[in-house]
Amino acid sequence: MTAWIVAHRTIVAAVLLFLPAPIIIVILSSFTKAGYIGFPPGELSLRWYAEFFSSADWLATLGLSTLLAALAAMLSTFVTFLGALAVTRQRLPMTQGLETLILLPLIFPHAALGVIMLGLVGIFGWTGNFLGLLLAHFILTIPYAWRPIVAAMRKHDLAVEEAAMSLGAPPFYTFRKVTLPLLRPGLVTALLFTFIISFDEVTVSLFLVGPDLSTLPVKIFSTIQDSGSPVIAAISAILIGFTIAIVFLLDRVIGLELFVAAEQRRKPTA
Amino acid sequence: MAQPDTLLTLDGVVKTFGRHRAVDGVSLAVRRGEFLTLLGPSGCGKTTILRMVAGFEHPDSGTIAIDGKPIQGIPPYRRPIGLVFQNLALFPHLTVGENIAFGLRVRRQPAETIARSVDEALALVELSGYGERRVHELSGGQRQRVALARALVIRPAVMLLDEPLGALDLKLRRQLQLELKQIQQRTGTTFIFVTHDQEEAITMSDRIAVMNGGRVEQLDTADRVYNRPTTEFVATFVGDTNLLTGRVSSVAGPTATVSVPVLGRDVPAPAGDARAGTGVRLSIRPENVRFADSASPWRMDARVLEVVYAGAAHRYTVEAGEARLLVAAPASPGTAPLAVGQRVALTWAADDAVLLAPPAGSPGR
Amino acid sequence: MRLGRWAWLLLLPLLCVLGLFLFGLGELVWSSFNGPDGPGLDLYRQFFARADYIDVLIRTLWVAGLTTVVSLFISYPVAYFIARFQGRRDWLLVLILLPWLVSVVVRTYGWIVILGNRGLLNGFLGWLGVIDSPLRLLFNTTGVVIGLVHVFCPFMILAILAVFLQLERALEEASMSLGAGPLETFRRVVLPLSLPGVISGVMLVYLMSTGAIITPLLLGGLRDRMLGTQIYQEMFQLFDFPKAATLAVILTATAFLVVLPLQWLERRVSRNLKGAA
Ligand SMILES: Nc1ncnc2c1ncn2[C@@H]1O[C@H](COP(=O)(O)OP(=O)(O)OP(=O)(O)O)[C@@H](O)[C@H]1O
Ligand SMILES: [Mg+2]
Repeated sequence: MTAWIVAHRTIVAAVLLFLPAPIIIVILSSFTKAGYIGFPPGELSLRWYAEFFSSADWLATLGLSTLLAALAAMLSTFVTFLGALAVTRQRLPMTQGLETLILLPLIFPHAALGVIMLGLVGIFGWTGNFLGLLLAHFILTIPYAWRPIVAAMRKHDLAVEEAAMSLGAPPFYTFRKVTLPLLRPGLVTALLFTFIISFDEVTVSLFLVGPDLSTLPVKIFSTIQDSGSPVIAAISAILIGFTIAIVFLLDRVIGLELFVAAEQRRKPTA
Repeated sequence: MAQPDTLLTLDGVVKTFGRHRAVDGVSLAVRRGEFLTLLGPSGCGKTTILRMVAGFEHPDSGTIAIDGKPIQGIPPYRRPIGLVFQNLALFPHLTVGENIAFGLRVRRQPAETIARSVDEALALVELSGYGERRVHELSGGQRQRVALARALVIRPAVMLLDEPLGALDLKLRRQLQLELKQIQQRTGTTFIFVTHDQEEAITMSDRIAVMNGGRVEQLDTADRVYNRPTTEFVATFVGDTNLLTGRVSSVAGPTATVSVPVLGRDVPAPAGDARAGTGVRLSIRPENVRFADSASPWRMDARVLEVVYAGAAHRYTVEAGEARLLVAAPASPGTAPLAVGQRVALTWAADDAVLLAPPAGSPGR
Repeated sequence: MRLGRWAWLLLLPLLCVLGLFLFGLGELVWSSFNGPDGPGLDLYRQFFARADYIDVLIRTLWVAGLTTVVSLFISYPVAYFIARFQGRRDWLLVLILLPWLVSVVVRTYGWIVILGNRGLLNGFLGWLGVIDSPLRLLFNTTGVVIGLVHVFCPFMILAILAVFLQLERALEEASMSLGAGPLETFRRVVLPLSLPGVISGVMLVYLMSTGAIITPLLLGGLRDRMLGTQIYQEMFQLFDFPKAATLAVILTATAFLVVLPLQWLERRVSRNLKGAA
């Protein structure tokens, strides 16, 4: 019995060290002069941060990634919201099939999705431009918007809307004052999810970037491949900082445990 | 046709869901200021009727009118109706005060008026000082009162209440029944109240509509529904009763003699419009079956099978002939109940029995 | 409120976008059947005729399978530990969520820093005098599996944890009160009830490992190829879209071969458990 407990604790401790390890290493190396943490570690310096912030190229890429993620998040949340309204309130034929279709992109390997998107974007002549990336991210983030929005709508009691109407509120007023506020947590979760998914997306984006257009993760990837410039450490540390901010936001807005439960819902079951 | 004091009328209202007739030709005339209860078993169409009156469902046929004017086509938010939902449906994102103010805000009343009305409404339901609370910080009984206040504050012509007390414990239920009745009388609002609890219906209502399978079986005062049921369903659904099958053997003035094969004898009942030779069902309430004394005009022998002490009364199951009857006798302190196996003589006053038409399809033996 | 007869119009934008996706999918399949010598199975025949492609396929299955198994074995104990942790769970969750939300490229970069020839680990071991020449930890299967496990095991932990968080403690207590010891309780109660989470975790990790490009490319290099990196190469070094399309179809098929049965299984298991609850 105790042997089991010891084994269990050991594994847990090892994993809890293993998971944050590369992240901590990246942060540490970003502050070294060599930009590369060897052993023993070298001199400290902020030169890589200086290089990042003085590079118009990197800053523009960061801006583009943020814009792309924000637009994709808003588009997919809005379109999904409309569709989910119809599905949760109306007896439509083939609801089951529709849901399977909506979650379909989740069950494709990313490399295959990249090829699919490249083909699709090529038809519009959007290869290597922003619209192509946006279309792909829009499609990819829809399943991540769908789960939280539909869950919020199914939880929401339609009798509350009838109560508003029986008190004299016309449909649009009811929608604004009752329906929307009650769905807000689901919508916020959807926006956050889709933003993160789009901002982090790299495999599919890899197929869609062009010679003078790249997302931040793709640019990091190609820089690692080409030059291995240590400025990557600084950028990575900044992104980690962003992510820490998002985690705290999540903790505040929905709570981490709820987030885990919501995560479970977004898994591809269809 | 609408009488002068009729506020709401339903005329031949039918509603089907798929192939299922949820409401099957209901006609009702609700009087101004009355407390009318729809009473019936689960699934008999009570909620559906309320939803049609409120405008959330539309009758397949028949008309609903308020003050003689059909309200078909008027959307829910323009009907002069307040609705208390089966599950209350309070707005979870608003405070108690904001919940109550909702209907007034929709009507764009000035802020001071709203504040005053909300305070009055809170006082009316004895929740003064709770305005800032959130809905989930209230007990079940308090929530129920908020739902009531929210609907009352818009001064509806008709209040519809769908089993608002269903989820509460017995004591709270009794207390709120009383409060509800007082509020109804104080405000003079017409209440249509839904319940499947017959005791609740009897204590609160001016009139009761007993429903079964989408139809109204009887619409009458509480007293008449209990003491003068017109159908077998009403007799059994409202209170306990003994039902006996027999045939009218003779009619003498106001009294009929009914021969009941399972009892092996004739028993008296009010004649009504029964004619000799017709098959009937006779209903007699347990508390109307008495122990006979020397003055009793008739008596029958029986034997005690079972005794249950039920608070104010002893409830006996007795065997008379081949029939088993329920008898309820007041339990006075100091007198011992009858023992199991004891022989007794029973009787009842002809007026206490009720003759019902046998249900359609059963052989009138 | 009811939406009325025109409700389906709200679905229209969503359906259009999904239609585009289906169209792209159709186009992919179509291209894979369209070799240089006209329509047919040529491209597939070419694929299976080449030993190096078969190697890539087998390596993909092997790496994805290994990643999935390793992830499962390290994730399950962690998920259980977190679910039963008595103190503030949020801090443990941060340790899982943070790596999970940090971009794949960033994490992979971290592994290059740690595992590279001049990296932290080799530097440390050399400094200790344990090794003379650096260990080759990168540009082979070991590096790829370490990287993939790191990238994907948070998915597994979260999938299993989500099930555990919904598991009532009372069930375990009931089992113990009926005389089952901790191991017995685990085997008879905890494990069966956590199966849906395990299945969906396995499904997710396997699916994502087969289709990964970034991590295999950065940690495995172009020599130790997987299907994902092969597709990348066909596309961007050889500019052969039909070949890439064929590979993508084969990749999808290998993923579906595992994922679809698991989905079916998961639905069955969940349904059975629902009946029991
Ligand atoms: N929207 C609907 N779709 C289909 N059938 C319905 C719908 N609403 C009600 N019904 C059916 O109509 C019948 C009457 O329902 P209703 O809700 O009016 O019953 P009720 O008398 O209020 O019952 P309860 O006491 O359980 O609330 C039931 O058989 C119910 O299944
Ligand atoms: Mg009902």
